[in-house]
Amino acid sequence: MIERGSIRGCLAGKILRVDLSNKKIWTVDTKKYIEKTLGGRGINSLIMLDEIDIGTKWYDPENLLCFGAGSLVGTIAPGACRVDVSSINVFSGGKGSANVGGFWGPELKYAGYDNIIIVGKSEKPVYLCIRDDKVEIRDASFLWGKDTYETENVLREDIKDEHIKIACIGPTGENRVKGSAIIMDTAKAAGGSGVGCVMGDKRLKAIVVRGHGKIEVAQPEKFMQIIDRCYQQCKDEPKSKTMRKAPMNLYSNPEWEGWDTNIVIKNGQDDQWEREKRISLMNPATGIPSMQKGTRACYSCPIGCMPYMEINKGKHKGNKGEGFWINTIMGHACRFDISDPEAVANSWLLTNRLGLDGDYVAAGLSWIFELYEKGIINKENTDGLELTWGNGDALNKLIKKLAYREGIGDLLADGMVEAAKKIGYHSEYYLTQVKGQPSIEPFRVPKGWALAVSTSPVAGRHLRGATMGSNRYGPKPRPGNFGVTDYQNQAKGVVWQGKTKELEDNLGICNYVGTWSGANFLSIADFAELINAGMGLDITEEELVNHYAVIGRNLEKAFNTLHTDMSRKDDLPPKRFREEEVKSGPYKGFKIEENKYNKMLDEFYELWEWDKETGMQTRTGLEKLGLKDVAEKIAKQGKLIDK
Amino acid sequence: MKIIRNNNLCYACKTCQLACSFHHTKTFWPERSSIIVSRNPQEGTIKWRMNNSCDQCTNEKEPLCVKYCIYGALQVGEEVKEDD
Repeated sequence: MIERGSIRGCLAGKILRVDLSNKKIWTVDTKKYIEKTLGGRGINSLIMLDEIDIGTKWYDPENLLCFGAGSLVGTIAPGACRVDVSSINVFSGGKGSANVGGFWGPELKYAGYDNIIIVGKSEKPVYLCIRDDKVEIRDASFLWGKDTYETENVLREDIKDEHIKIACIGPTGENRVKGSAIIMDTAKAAGGSGVGCVMGDKRLKAIVVRGHGKIEVAQPEKFMQIIDRCYQQCKDEPKSKTMRKAPMNLYSNPEWEGWDTNIVIKNGQDDQWEREKRISLMNPATGIPSMQKGTRACYSCPIGCMPYMEINKGKHKGNKGEGFWINTIMGHACRFDISDPEAVANSWLLTNRLGLDGDYVAAGLSWIFELYEKGIINKENTDGLELTWGNGDALNKLIKKLAYREGIGDLLADGMVEAAKKIGYHSEYYLTQVKGQPSIEPFRVPKGWALAVSTSPVAGRHLRGATMGSNRYGPKPRPGNFGVTDYQNQAKGVVWQGKTKELEDNLGICNYVGTWSGANFLSIADFAELINAGMGLDITEEELVNHYAVIGRNLEKAFNTLHTDMSRKDDLPPKRFREEEVKSGPYKGFKIEENKYNKMLDEFYELWEWDKETGMQTRTGLEKLGLKDVAEKIAKQGKLIDK
Repeated sequence: MKIIRNNNLCYACKTCQLACSFHHTKTFWPERSSIIVSRNPQEGTIKWRMNNSCDQCTNEKEPLCVKYCIYGALQVGEEVKEDD
């Protein structure tokens, strides 16, 4: 165990525990859970591993829904606003985790809590109202059925405090649609893993938070000196201008390289979108950028990546909100071949209002569009909707059907893998999913991306290690020396990026402000200094990367090992991307070559110190991290590799 | 010396509140901030309020809210512009 000093700052100090079945509320000391980890997701992972019995399903009352604000959240550290939401993954049955920014996390800390752990299930709809020490489980029947915007407005009116922060589900979560998100501050989504579906299953409509307290740091003057340097780095970094309003700045240039490397068209039929469609969607004068009315930042964020938009023409004119993101372009436009800016913008707004995960919508519903094209389903199955490529109106209607489980929406709401079994006719081949979760990600061109998405412990998402390619994204040295399309050395970059994400989710730092883009915002050395001056610890950069980050990843992997049959066989890209080539553009002919991918995967396991043959954890690897108890648990299930 | 606010440049990150509370308390305590920013994500509006506890950051080279406003929405100038 690392000698690291005792915690004297940054934490709120308590974890709020709520039992919805028995209507009980209590608190426990945060420090008890923070020896092996540094906060946020780390605490959620530890508690889930400790308390959820093997065999528990996502819909069992014993499943936990965990919220964790990172340890630096509530301070002025750049981008320190993030919350991890963890639960059993409704798609994979293993670890589920979604990460969200905004203002709810800091407010939770000011109310006196680092994490909230919810167990049980209410019989009737309820919401949790947290005002400092006063925590109540309240009736939510008056909120049931309302979308996320309406829920916010009614709660603000009811509680009569403009400063409350709200995390809520929309009708989709209530209807237990698998791809439901938890929406915070009306626009920020904890989207993946079906966490909104779990919240709805527990009949928990919202968590309202208001805090009047403070967050102290161990060495205030020193902490601010580090902050000064970090802010200066953010100011001086030329990339901050591009990354501000990123969806608009990057994609309004039809020649931007991301259009070639990171896009999937028509549910995976191609990875190249026609130039005229890029322009139609993102034309600064008439496309999505023309709808931008302003830009917003999350709490204490020096980047400000989020457009505020209002649809300015067409039948959706007047619909507005924050939160339009790159994934909307990758997902709602490209995967459906929709270049109509109003239809795409509205589908994104609808997704937020109904409480859906945008990636689930994009990957799941574009699959249905392709089944329609192939004749596997027809108009009789779609309640008359013509699901033809480019039909934005049909997409908007289908999203509503999904949310309210109407007609074909009911079939899709229980998950696309389950729907494929019912539909038959080889339909599962066209579903781009990893470990059961529909995935919008590109695989055939960016190889590090493919490796990271395929091995993500939370199933088919890119943030647990996807690399943006080589060092061209910034002067910081990154392990490996590779281009986007290379297989060689890619694993080093993926593991390094995965480790930094572990730290960011423990500390609650947005990975956009952290290491994601490779820009010179915050580095791991900055993380170490902020933790030491903030929490009063004495941790080196090397210990962060090679101990705490490795523990974080291993806790989630252990949960997957214990609760599912996941192994090497589940760390592969979807079959389609191993069989079908890119049809056009500069990367025409590219696909995942299995022998090269497998070599990359070998190296990836070796770097994490997992068994190469099975992809499973080893006794030595876990014990070295001080996780002997975890090793024993896995050994009892006969799943530990004894070397 | 006065603190001038420009709503058009504001991203509503509320970093100014944190900086201000640090000036007053050496902790991060938004309730003790002299400047309060609230934002309506549905309507896109941002509201400002400065209460009379603002001392223009006596003993600092410049007001901390100005220093940490990376978007340039807060500046030091000649007059207070109330632009709620």
